[in-house]
Amino acid sequence: MASVVVADRLTKSYGSTRGVVELTFEVDAGEVFGFLGPNGAGKTTTIRTMLDLIRPTEGGITVFGLRPRDDAPAIHARVGYLPGELALYERMTALELLSAFGSFRGGVARSRIDALAERLGLDLTRRIRSLSHGNKQKVGLVLAFAHEPELLILDEPTQGLDPLMQQEFYAMIDEARSRGATVFLSSHVMPEVERVCDRVAIIREGRLVTVADVGELKARAVRRLAFHFDGPAPLQAFTSLPSVRDAEAHGDTLRLTVQGVVDPVVKEAARHTVVSMESEEASLEEIFLAIYRDGTHRDASDGDGSDG
Amino acid sequence: MSVEIARPDRLSVLRVNLAQQRRALVWWAIAIALMALLFAAVYPSVRDSGDTFDDYLEQLPDAFRSILGEDLTSPAGYLWSQLFSSMGPIVYLVYAIGAGARAIAGEEEAGSLDLVLATPLRRTVVLRDKALGLVSGTVLLSAVLFVALAILGPAFDMTVPLGDLLAAHAVQALLSLAFGMIALAIGAATGARALAIGVTSALAVLTYLLWALAPSVDALEPVLPLSPFRWFADPQPVAEGTELVNVVVLAAISAVAYAIGLVTFRERDLAT
Repeated sequence: MASVVVADRLTKSYGSTRGVVELTFEVDAGEVFGFLGPNGAGKTTTIRTMLDLIRPTEGGITVFGLRPRDDAPAIHARVGYLPGELALYERMTALELLSAFGSFRGGVARSRIDALAERLGLDLTRRIRSLSHGNKQKVGLVLAFAHEPELLILDEPTQGLDPLMQQEFYAMIDEARSRGATVFLSSHVMPEVERVCDRVAIIREGRLVTVADVGELKARAVRRLAFHFDGPAPLQAFTSLPSVRDAEAHGDTLRLTVQGVVDPVVKEAARHTVVSMESEEASLEEIFLAIYRDGTHRDASDGDGSDG
Repeated sequence: MSVEIARPDRLSVLRVNLAQQRRALVWWAIAIALMALLFAAVYPSVRDSGDTFDDYLEQLPDAFRSILGEDLTSPAGYLWSQLFSSMGPIVYLVYAIGAGARAIAGEEEAGSLDLVLATPLRRTVVLRDKALGLVSGTVLLSAVLFVALAILGPAFDMTVPLGDLLAAHAVQALLSLAFGMIALAIGAATGARALAIGVTSALAVLTYLLWALAPSVDALEPVLPLSPFRWFADPQPVAEGTELVNVVVLAAISAVAYAIGLVTFRERDLAT
């Protein structure tokens, strides 16, 4: 299928630190594409070049095969955008605001607005300035989804949403996908990307670290496990397992860092009496480290060694 | 395959802009109507003490006399010297510069411009509608003062020909619009609201001083045409109406500022 977003050595330089460097990736039609990285990595910069809010310094990006610089209105007509830092017209009611932005799109069906508001539990008669952060975020979501766009560009969409609303949001993403929409979702938390995305690009300090299937990434993911046994923790048997990166025993507790499939570890543990166990999701930083260790970071291998 | 592309409603940004300005415009209108009432109500006592005012005028330095005019007590002289040579333009400049700076830069600093420009609106259309919002507000507030003076004037024996009163309001509106459009253009070019207000206000003060001082400082005479106030004030519009060239020059300042705003806004990155 055709690519909806194509970034080709996309570079945006600001004075010193921020910006992005030679990003190359493609987002296929109909997929949910995660854009994962810590805050300040360049996610918002990339998104704003897609929408012609800022222009690339070098390289380029196309959306629906169009250059944002030349065809912003045509792109925008087919895009729903939720900014990372949402700023709305504070004095309007939610409905007034949604109608105003609807008029910027040649009208948006009131029934769609009502349905989304109802679903998210948003009171449309309230003034924006009286809304909590989470409720403002819901207004932003209605704004992005109401015109049923072909491409959703969502910058940190779940910030401020309570867990229940996050689940509702994930369901909305799933529905958008099933009607054929493409979703570009930036996030700084791995579980969210795992939950909704098909593929994920990982970005750090303005550079693309990797683009991978979420399944593939999960297989590579690092996890911390702790087993509590009914006797002294057996250490020896675990250190030799291939997926175990690190292991230590204290009394009846065994702590392991495991990369990839945990099956061999669990099977080994099952040979003893396990009183309880804990599993902790790896942090983004640990995922980065694991990826770097695997040598998938291209720039590191073809660099001129000036930094080493 | 051609996809039907959603187009924005006509003048949608203007309509939203007017809705956002509505509350402020109502207060401006009330204040301006009260100002008209005050100036009209004071007129009879000024006229009755005419000689005192003429003596007072004799003692003033040339520069002040050239601002105030030679006649303080006729309706047209009074309206000019007390209202249109100072307070009037100040009120309209404050409105226009504030509204102009807020139009793009204010919304950009607030952060909502990102969302507006992520819709199918062209940047040029957003700028055009915001400029139309500024024009609408200026015209509306000018109409308030015109109607108030046209009604209140005769009630306080302060009658001036409506044609001249209209001309005075027209050049005052064009003058404030010129500065409002400069503020809008600076805001559109830089995204900095405070900068737009500061630079434009400084420009207004300097060109006002240029106009006020030129008659008494020979060196300033050749550059006097650079001051928009010269095109506002000469001929003294309440007494003599105005001329086509004055209207053209003042409108041209707005047009040039608008064009510069349009080009720079189209080309630049929006601030985060």
